[in-house]
Amino acid sequence: MSTSTVVHIKNMVKKYGDFPAVEGISLEIAQGECFGILGPNGAGKSTLMKVMYGSSQITSGEVFILGLNVKQHMSEIKSRIGVVPQEDGLDTDLSVIENLLIYGSFYGLDRKVISDRADYLLRLMKMEDRTDRAVETLSGGLKRRLAIARGLINQPDILFLDEPTTGLDPQARRWIWDFFKSLKEQKSTLILTTHYMEEAEFLCDRIAIVDHGKILAIGKPVDMIREHIGYEVVEFDCSAKDLNYYVEKVKAQNFDYQVYHQTIHVFMKEHQSAKEIIQHFLSDRVVIRRPSLNDVFLRFSGAQLRDES
Amino acid sequence: MKGGFQKVWNRNFFYFRKTWLVTAFWTILEPLMYLGAFGYGVGSFINNVDGMAYVDFFFPGLLCTTALLVAYFESTYTNYTKLTHQKLYASWLLTPLGAKDIILGEILWGATKGFIGSLGVLLISMLFGLVKSWMFLPALVVVFVLSFIFACVGMIFTSYAKNYDSFIFSSSGILIPMTLISGTYFPIDTLYIVLKIVAYTFPLAHAVDIVRGLMTGHFKIMFGLQFLYLILLAYVLVRFAISRLEKKLIS
Repeated sequence: MSTSTVVHIKNMVKKYGDFPAVEGISLEIAQGECFGILGPNGAGKSTLMKVMYGSSQITSGEVFILGLNVKQHMSEIKSRIGVVPQEDGLDTDLSVIENLLIYGSFYGLDRKVISDRADYLLRLMKMEDRTDRAVETLSGGLKRRLAIARGLINQPDILFLDEPTTGLDPQARRWIWDFFKSLKEQKSTLILTTHYMEEAEFLCDRIAIVDHGKILAIGKPVDMIREHIGYEVVEFDCSAKDLNYYVEKVKAQNFDYQVYHQTIHVFMKEHQSAKEIIQHFLSDRVVIRRPSLNDVFLRFSGAQLRDES
Repeated sequence: MKGGFQKVWNRNFFYFRKTWLVTAFWTILEPLMYLGAFGYGVGSFINNVDGMAYVDFFFPGLLCTTALLVAYFESTYTNYTKLTHQKLYASWLLTPLGAKDIILGEILWGATKGFIGSLGVLLISMLFGLVKSWMFLPALVVVFVLSFIFACVGMIFTSYAKNYDSFIFSSSGILIPMTLISGTYFPIDTLYIVLKIVAYTFPLAHAVDIVRGLMTGHFKIMFGLQFLYLILLAYVLVRFAISRLEKKLIS
């Protein structure tokens, strides 16, 4: 394990009763990385997160955070990490600033230190004019910003973000993304789960796609797109009865493809040209576009709907 | 975490200081209304009970029921809200605080709040001349232990609760009947033997005996044993409450 490895997971299994939520995951995350965990609902990504920040105990395997074993040193780990949970879990009995002061006290920090940091964080979050507001009166975006400030009160070495922008409007989301970018510039280590591919592409240095409790693919977003999808995607909508005919055509030409419902996605690799395939799809329902992480995600997790976890 | 439970206690005390006025209304004013209605109102029709004025008989019981009801309600409705709707325990567990710190801090706070309620009633009652000797000081120790016991009981019910209505079974089914038969409103000796045994199974009857004895100057050797029973019960219940809640908080 190199000194800059802040998360080291070896063959970790987590079962809830008989149900295996995580089935043997191994993973290393380096200091200063922004690492994203993607996966459909119930894939095991939240469990993986919870194991890392200590809200869930592992069934077997080994997990080291900041070089410390989660089985023996969880309290010390918790004092050195910050977590922004999916449900903000803000203290609705207290005001904005009181939330930070009380939460900071749980880390055993000096009162003056907490108070200075709370003021600083609220300025950073552009919430300095709302310090005495009741938490209940804040918008969703502001609540999330307060939860992020709370996660930073102990100046953590790693910040965990569980679906940090779920349920927020586009402006609030954008604000938070820009804030995370600025954290990244300061070489902070961020580990996040998300449902938003553009979020992962925008923020993450590396991502892991998780499903059925396993890591299906891991790497840099751009490399994953190149490797698993290619350089261009040709999308073609057709009727159910014609689907087979067109799929045969694509197959015959040895193109890499995937069918989602009644749409054929053909993936253009290096040195392949979209022209070669378009001539077979004489239709106005053809779209040629740049591939995205979304394509990679759909490729691994399939396009079927999942129940809410 | 070292001293973790104190940090949890401090958070609650901090909130209490913000809201003490509304809290004082139901924890102190309400019992005082009972003191007026029963102690002085109903009491004016009663010559004496066990050789003392009814209000002197009633007052120690009121101190005990005030403490236990305040502690119980804090440990049930308030803590159930923290556990479920506010999800506060989940976010506190993200800090170095452990589950034990949280549970113990909450129980001690519930006990403290019950104690504060009872103390408030006692201090105001001093103005009416109901506190006649310094023996109210050891009596307050008993009140605190009783308060602690019901903070534990509340936490245990919280661990079983499915929703807020669940608490109606424990409050209307157990707590209120207990406060009626434990020698609070009338002497326990007048009860049928079966009910008497039931009454003495619960901690309140013992606490009322001791507190009344201390406040009216009638000491008995039995008080030592009864107090020991309360301490033992407090110990067993706090252990049980911690193990129940720990299972809820750690997955």
